[in-house]
Amino acid sequence: MTHEVRNDLKYTETHEWVRVKGRVIQVGITDHAQSQLTDIVYVELPEVGKKVKKGEELCVVESVKSVSDVYSPVTGTVIKVNKKVEDNPEIINSSPYDEGWLVEIEADNSSEINNLLDAEKYKKIT
Amino acid sequence: MMLRSPLHHVHESLGARFTEFAGFEMPLQYSSIIEEHINVRRHVGLFDVSHMSNTWLTGEDSMDLLSLSTVTDASKVKVNQGQYTVILREDGTIIDDIIFMNLGDRYMIIPNAGMSHIVADWLSKQGKKHKLSVKVEDVSRSFVILAIQGPKSKDTLQRISDTDLNNVSFFNCCYANVADTPCILSHTGYTGELGYELQITPPDKAERVYKAILEAGKDYNIKPIGLGARDTLRLEKCFMLAGNEFAGGRTPLEAGLDWVINWDHEFTGKKQLIKQKEKGGYDRLTCLLCVDRGVPRHGCEIMKNNEKVGVVTSGTLSPCLNTGIAMGYVKHGHSVLDDVLDIVIRDKRVKAKVVKPPFVKKDWAKMNP
Repeated sequence: MTHEVRNDLKYTETHEWVRVKGRVIQVGITDHAQSQLTDIVYVELPEVGKKVKKGEELCVVESVKSVSDVYSPVTGTVIKVNKKVEDNPEIINSSPYDEGWLVEIEADNSSEINNLLDAEKYKKIT
Repeated sequence: MMLRSPLHHVHESLGARFTEFAGFEMPLQYSSIIEEHINVRRHVGLFDVSHMSNTWLTGEDSMDLLSLSTVTDASKVKVNQGQYTVILREDGTIIDDIIFMNLGDRYMIIPNAGMSHIVADWLSKQGKKHKLSVKVEDVSRSFVILAIQGPKSKDTLQRISDTDLNNVSFFNCCYANVADTPCILSHTGYTGELGYELQITPPDKAERVYKAILEAGKDYNIKPIGLGARDTLRLEKCFMLAGNEFAGGRTPLEAGLDWVINWDHEFTGKKQLIKQKEKGGYDRLTCLLCVDRGVPRHGCEIMKNNEKVGVVTSGTLSPCLNTGIAMGYVKHGHSVLDDVLDIVIRDKRVKAKVVKPPFVKKDWAKMNP
């Protein structure tokens, strides 16, 4: 089964996607990741204002069977969270790149954003 | 090496994703755990549970061996009847929970996955110790075990079975032909729904039965179901999973299995159970329904204020209730109906209420059309 990889997004090796809006990035999990997890039933989001470090736990996504960490793609500050996924976690399965976004982070350093994987490189690791 | 069901290739062709369980590589899910779960509650599902064990007892003292080794007085279990029971160590703790069937010419015992050697060895030793004339045979790998579960299981199975299922009451069993294949049929299951289980030998006959069931159930929206949904289905009904609920040595009193014990016969472990009953003050397996959002998991601590009062043995999100549910052993005095305890999930406390089993009642599908 092939999964959608969008050309206008950046990616991490740990299956997060990143939508770049200047210094601010929107983060979610990729179509590949949601399909591996299946049936997402619970999401634990960070508090707005939380400082996060690249590669460290950003939020937790749970399926019926498993608990998975979502890692922060950059170092920065959480400025917005998608409360909709708390009440309806299944939208991460149905719309991983749009409705199912998780958090927005203001990056401390924009060079970290530039170093993320592009769609072509991400396709190769999935 | 990981063991596989003789139907592994059939599951592959149905698009199964696999998981390891008790040394077996078995289907985890075919579509999605929640979808499969709801399908069993509303319609019907077909499970391959060949990871379960199968042990035969033959010989004139078979009944006496069962009575001595389980908490059940086997003389009360007539031909074509089955019984859920537990096998205890001398200290009263559970080795395994089993179903045994009185087939007339033999007893068939169904231990849990990976427990066949342990149960067969234990029964053989008990037989020798008491000088009983019994042959104990672990025949697990000679059988494929299928479970057809859900409100439409009877209609599905009747289409291809030569036995009138109206004559097979709950927990009864018989030799039968399904899809022209001889098998042992029982009115049993692990989902809390109307359901049947089939024991098929030799294993190469099973593919045809499996496919015939899927075909017969088409009109009823039958789906193949994996171990993921099997686990959530049993947990909603508060059925125990041996590896979780009996780990570390638990007695049937602690597990709330008092109702299966026949006290008026001698059995291994009885003395210790009587002692425990008289002394009181033991942990109780408790059903906890989350009040807050959160998914409790095996190993989560259970707290009352600042005191740790227990540990979760099984937890999940209930697909029917869309709420976290858990079972766990709670210290004496804290397993009080309607009391609220905290389950600690990743340092966060989630409130959960002590409830009467099961979490999902018998008429759930009718009440939630």
